[in-house]
Amino acid sequence: MSEWSGFSYIVTNLARFVRPNEITFSGVNSALPMLACLLAKRAYPFAFTYINVAGGVDPSPSKVPISSSDPVLAEGSRSIFANEDFYDLCTRGQMDLCFLGAAQVDGLGRTNVSCIGDWHAPKVRLPGGGGGAVMLPTARRAVTWRTEHSRRTLVETLDFVTASGGMHGVVTPIAVFTKRDGRLVLASWHPAASLDEVRARTGFAFEADGAEPTTAPIPAEAEALAALDPDGQFERDAAIRLR
Amino acid sequence: MSLGTSKIVPLEELAARVADGSSLALGGSFLHRGPFALVRELIRQGRKDLEVIKQSPGYDIDILCRAGALSRARAGIVAMEGNFGLAPWYRRAVETGRIRLEEHACASLTAGLRAAAFGVPFMPCGGIHGSDLPALNGWKTVEDPYGGGETVYVIPRITPDFAVIQANEVSEEGDVRVYGTSHWDRIMTRSAKRVLVVAERVASSASFRDQPELTLVPHFLVEAVSIVPNGAWPGSCWPHYEVDYLAVEAYMEDAAGVLRAHLDAAPEAREAAHV
Repeated sequence: MSEWSGFSYIVTNLARFVRPNEITFSGVNSALPMLACLLAKRAYPFAFTYINVAGGVDPSPSKVPISSSDPVLAEGSRSIFANEDFYDLCTRGQMDLCFLGAAQVDGLGRTNVSCIGDWHAPKVRLPGGGGGAVMLPTARRAVTWRTEHSRRTLVETLDFVTASGGMHGVVTPIAVFTKRDGRLVLASWHPAASLDEVRARTGFAFEADGAEPTTAPIPAEAEALAALDPDGQFERDAAIRLR
Repeated sequence: MSLGTSKIVPLEELAARVADGSSLALGGSFLHRGPFALVRELIRQGRKDLEVIKQSPGYDIDILCRAGALSRARAGIVAMEGNFGLAPWYRRAVETGRIRLEEHACASLTAGLRAAAFGVPFMPCGGIHGSDLPALNGWKTVEDPYGGGETVYVIPRITPDFAVIQANEVSEEGDVRVYGTSHWDRIMTRSAKRVLVVAERVASSASFRDQPELTLVPHFLVEAVSIVPNGAWPGSCWPHYEVDYLAVEAYMEDAAGVLRAHLDAAPEAREAAHV
């Protein structure tokens, strides 16, 4: 019996990467990391600086927006820290944690957000580089998420290397990976899944020494997520399935 | 003291300044504070062979692709956002080769704009190492000429023909005020050859003199301005209005007549028709 849904698993485990007194960033097209940052603010008894792509610095948004770049995310901010500012912060080495999207991730934590198939004749043209190519190699830690855990999203070989530098963490509906010695290793798995299932559904080889079932959400995490998504709209929109 | 010349022109006239083949740096990000009324007016006027230069285009690049008005794009990340996912007409235009894409990281596009703004031929950009993008785009590296040992990518200058910005308020003379984040609008207005602005409303010149620090673009950089209330529809323009998600949803339908109906439902069209 698990206390996790796929949705709560991803949001909460993204939030668990947030550390005290650090600068954490969430960007465009990133509803789940946005929720994770807001969850961390509510659930954890420590201070950190949350900046976002709407220019917000520790904002107090009057509601949680559907778009993770909505100007509501700058409400209550004491400053507008705009796009050029947070990119420059990152490239000069002061971004502690940023959340970056990915379509494919390989075992080195590199990402493809550009295309499925050949770049010049793509089967699917994906959103594209975005923050990744610059932020992934320059942020102190970068973390990504995939709502589908499969051999087509967690791959041995990327169709295109949009961003190198290596993710510090990857969260899927059934697993949490972190980086060790330059490669992704399994940190924990959804208690309703298993190590075998994670291996079977992952396209790259990984070590799992010390990995165990993910610890259940603490009450503060569960309460914070319930407060952020009181009618379950975000959970329905995300439509995340374990399998 | 008045500067004597109003830069305010009708939207039709603003759009008429943009010739076929022009490159356009469009302000805002995804569904937020984009100069969408001007984009739609370009489509109504049948403009062709345009280029979009923008770190995070979405609705704007998609509707230009849908109308067949675009041939090139330099972009970082392209999506409709919200819960709408990929920009479908843009996606199809790239997949079928109808537009030529130069894929950037948002910051590499900014670096190219900075080169133009700073009056130099190229600009260093952090990161990028290990990405396939440089090989794709022919980006080169330089070693720190001062002996620091770092190797840095340099991005060639990007000089848009136009920057088009959606503003909250302008003066008659063309000073531009934006509330909330300015996204990349500032660097766009410093790198482009010409700057056009669509604004929600006019504010007094005195109000600009009272708080000059709120002015994002001074009038002497601005060529012309149109006043279009709700011009960023179906996107947001903080703090005046939010995203009209129902209108975006209606736009996303892939059926005959949807584009026409969408253009006709836009605030500037309804205003013109006195609906």
